[in-house]
Amino acid sequence: MTRQTRTQKLAHLVTVSALALSVALGVGAAQAKEFLLGSELPLTGSLARVGQGMQEGIAVAIEMANKAHAGKHSFKVETIDDETSPAKAVAAVEKLVGDGVVAITGGYGSNIIGPASEAAQKAGLVYITSGGVAPELTQRGYPTFFRINNTDGYALAMIGLLQEIGAKKVSIVYLNKDATSSLAKQVGQALTAKGVTVGTHEFDGSTSDFKPLINKVKLQDRPDAIAMVGYENDYVGILRAAKVLKPTVKAMVGVWSLATAQMAKEFPDLMENVYGTSMLPYPVEFTQPEAVEFAATYKTLFNKDPDYLGQFGYVQTRLLIDAVLRADEAGTLAKGGLPEELRKTDAKTLIGRVTFDKSGDNPNFTHRMGQHQGGKVVLVWPKDDANGKMNFPAVPW
Amino acid sequence: MTTKHVNRLLLIVALAVAYVGVPLLFGGNAYVLGLIVAALTIAGVAVAWALLGNLGGMVSFGHAAFFGVGSYTSAVLAMKLGVPVFAAMLLGGVGAAVSSIAMLPALRLRGPYFALAILAYAHIFQILATEMTPVTGGAGGLLSIPRFPAVFGVDFGEKTGGYLIILTIIVLSGLAYDAVRRSSWGLALKAMHDTEVATRVVGVPSTHLKAAMLALSAFITGVVGAFNAHFISFLEPDYAFSSGWTVLPIAAAIFGGYRTVWGPVVGALAIYLLDQLLFKPIMPHGHQMVLGVLLCAMILFSPGGLMPALRRRAAKEARHAHA
Amino acid sequence: MLELTLQALFSGLLAGGYYATVAVGLALVFGTMRVINLAHGELVLLAAYVAYAAETNYGINPVMAIPVALVIVGAASALVYALLSRIHQDREINSLILTFGLGIILTNAILSIWAADIHSTSNAWFQDSVVVADTLFAMNAEVASFVGGLVLMAGVWWWLNHSWQGRAVRALSSNRAAATLMGVNPRKIEILSFLIAALLATFAGFAIYTGKTVFPALGHVLTVKAFIITVLAGMGSIPGVLIGAVMIGVIESLTVTYLSASLQELAGMILFLVVLFVSPSGLFGGGRALAR
Repeated sequence: MTRQTRTQKLAHLVTVSALALSVALGVGAAQAKEFLLGSELPLTGSLARVGQGMQEGIAVAIEMANKAHAGKHSFKVETIDDETSPAKAVAAVEKLVGDGVVAITGGYGSNIIGPASEAAQKAGLVYITSGGVAPELTQRGYPTFFRINNTDGYALAMIGLLQEIGAKKVSIVYLNKDATSSLAKQVGQALTAKGVTVGTHEFDGSTSDFKPLINKVKLQDRPDAIAMVGYENDYVGILRAAKVLKPTVKAMVGVWSLATAQMAKEFPDLMENVYGTSMLPYPVEFTQPEAVEFAATYKTLFNKDPDYLGQFGYVQTRLLIDAVLRADEAGTLAKGGLPEELRKTDAKTLIGRVTFDKSGDNPNFTHRMGQHQGGKVVLVWPKDDANGKMNFPAVPW
Repeated sequence: MTTKHVNRLLLIVALAVAYVGVPLLFGGNAYVLGLIVAALTIAGVAVAWALLGNLGGMVSFGHAAFFGVGSYTSAVLAMKLGVPVFAAMLLGGVGAAVSSIAMLPALRLRGPYFALAILAYAHIFQILATEMTPVTGGAGGLLSIPRFPAVFGVDFGEKTGGYLIILTIIVLSGLAYDAVRRSSWGLALKAMHDTEVATRVVGVPSTHLKAAMLALSAFITGVVGAFNAHFISFLEPDYAFSSGWTVLPIAAAIFGGYRTVWGPVVGALAIYLLDQLLFKPIMPHGHQMVLGVLLCAMILFSPGGLMPALRRRAAKEARHAHA
Repeated sequence: MLELTLQALFSGLLAGGYYATVAVGLALVFGTMRVINLAHGELVLLAAYVAYAAETNYGINPVMAIPVALVIVGAASALVYALLSRIHQDREINSLILTFGLGIILTNAILSIWAADIHSTSNAWFQDSVVVADTLFAMNAEVASFVGGLVLMAGVWWWLNHSWQGRAVRALSSNRAAATLMGVNPRKIEILSFLIAALLATFAGFAIYTGKTVFPALGHVLTVKAFIITVLAGMGSIPGVLIGAVMIGVIESLTVTYLSASLQELAGMILFLVVLFVSPSGLFGGGRALAR
């Protein structure tokens, strides 16, 4: 017998006897327990930045849960770096399964989440994420797979804003990666259907000088607005090129990783009047007590304001912890009842209402649009969530 | 007993342990077996890389090109044309060998010039895979690539089955490599290494031999890439043509001793398993740094690699025993 | 269309100057020691991060951070040399592996010190625009780096051709044994070339920090680009590096203008292969480059 199976047997024995003991004593649910969550994330490699962001949110969720249930239950998370590699993500999930975690929260990049969540599905373990928006992930119909955001929510927000400002001609500039190109296509098709003239320009990740590209937009497309779909370094490159070339557009609109506190701080001149998806304004004006505590805990742990990665990581982990506690209460946690319990989720969270459909997707997910204004991020779309006035027409130059 | 007999005996014992011992020991532990398969995948490329270096005298920085072409060929054949997975895997190797024809002009380049030309090919193939969306699925890649089927009651789609496949690929590649090295071709290639002019005078067409070695190395790498595609069941251009498929095998080959046939395999297992099982739990974020330190230390203190170092040590002990 | 083409040529020229400053240090070391320093990109990145740390922590202008970065990068470069000089067997391949390992160590050190966030200067002056005749546009940072890079490269080129040490570098690269007999101390000359490479790397780091964005994984990308340009140019030829780099920069920006930005890498790679196939030792390699 290998050591692994021996420890497994031993663990099993301990669980069984603990269960028997608790039944005999009639305590069951009230007993203090430590729950071990697993987390598989890219902490090194090309997705290191976003992976670290999500990890911070997860850490805040664990910290807050331990505070809330102090003396009753405690939570721990075992994190394994997947090194931005699908094979290592699968290995990480398998290791977490072997270490006896109750569920997995984490994952970044649809292409890495795919194989990793497949390994979790094989082991019958819940895998909850906010790092993979590709439609293919939920089309597989895994009962253990859950996510709180998707491409649709981002596309709707971007389209909604472009409609509200009345853009008749839009140039979409997008990175040729999976998530970015599928979002760009979705936005482009929706706008075309609404009678907007759309020009598309694909670029690859090694592009650092965007002037020739933006010059084409400026001289040939002559759009009302430029829609950018990429990541931080792409936005910085595009905005710098635009600031130099000064095309006659009325708005610069982006998606994720753009309307963030960090961008406002690092590139104050460059970001002014730029739009991007954002759940919360910056500085955060929280009204809900949960959100206030979240921001405070984040500040204590990491000495900075929370960004969207942290928010999503927090929300997914918070929902998971709630479901774990409910399943434990009902006594179904050890019997594979967690997916069912998680599917019952209907919660108002930092990112809005979350429920899960059959395929694990969150049908309520819609994003909001923020605008950089004088070092702050003001929510401007949709109107109901807006906390300030939109500057329009306005660009960074 | 001569050293030849000792070596043969060692090989048989190693094979027995690999085919019977490892599945028995780790069959129930998907995590460790998965790591071993990943290490062997790197080992396969490392063997092919060392073959090209030793027999063809060419250092390549772009074996990811063959790995990617092999994996895409096989995945597309199996998914779009319904070719059986095992046949598709071999055809993946053929595809990679065919792609090496495009590299024939590079054969007259030397040293770093050749190495970089191959790297350029890897970049070009990666961009083509991203842009040829109808065939390759573009940047989104291919999900749910068919896995290996069950044959004679053994499910090759599972971890243990996959392990047996990659192990067999490596054993056959190593044996083929050894056979070529011992053949008259191997002698000609060795002569070519020493002085290219001399072989030309003797009448050996050196370019043909080099091209053949490039194709053989590409074939092995392509098969390994195809195996990985069906084992992981997923592909995207960034992953299939990742520079990791070039860099790790080179490090492994150097680490194990690239002048020997089995050194690269030992090197790949040592590097990958040490990194994942030992260094990663100790320092979750900086463990790649340890890998870097290890590589530097190996080059500085035992430039021939692990295998020769071990052998030297064994020889020393044997001498002591005799004394 | 003319306006587009002119801007593409201008952008390509500036990009070429930037590529050249990254590549020329690698080419110099390659010329002197026949060693490719695969940690060169990481040294450039290290300089950029020193500039970043100086600007955010102490509010120092990136220009003023250059001397500080030079000390740190110079020390790192000297360390690379000290380790390299211990290699005696199979120098070509073993030095590749050694510097590759050093690159991994540096990247991970940068990652653990400064995390994976992207950074660039927040100084507004560098981002302001330079407009020539209402048709050519650039950022101040790009023009400043281009001019500074040219001056530095010209200086190094003059030094190689006119100073005693420079001639010793060239003597060493063409015939090591003969040069040693003529009284050249190879160790002194080699370490000197590493220190000059560190100077060039520091300046390249400054150029990236002010004109582009930096993140830990960039080092490897820079090394590959520098390596390709060095080979394209031919062994250690400084004018060759500049011309090769500008060719790559221009073909990339023309590809963006006439085809698509997602094909620019492809165009650069194809240009590289075509040049190699036509002239197997690079643009300015000559016959000597083939001799080891």
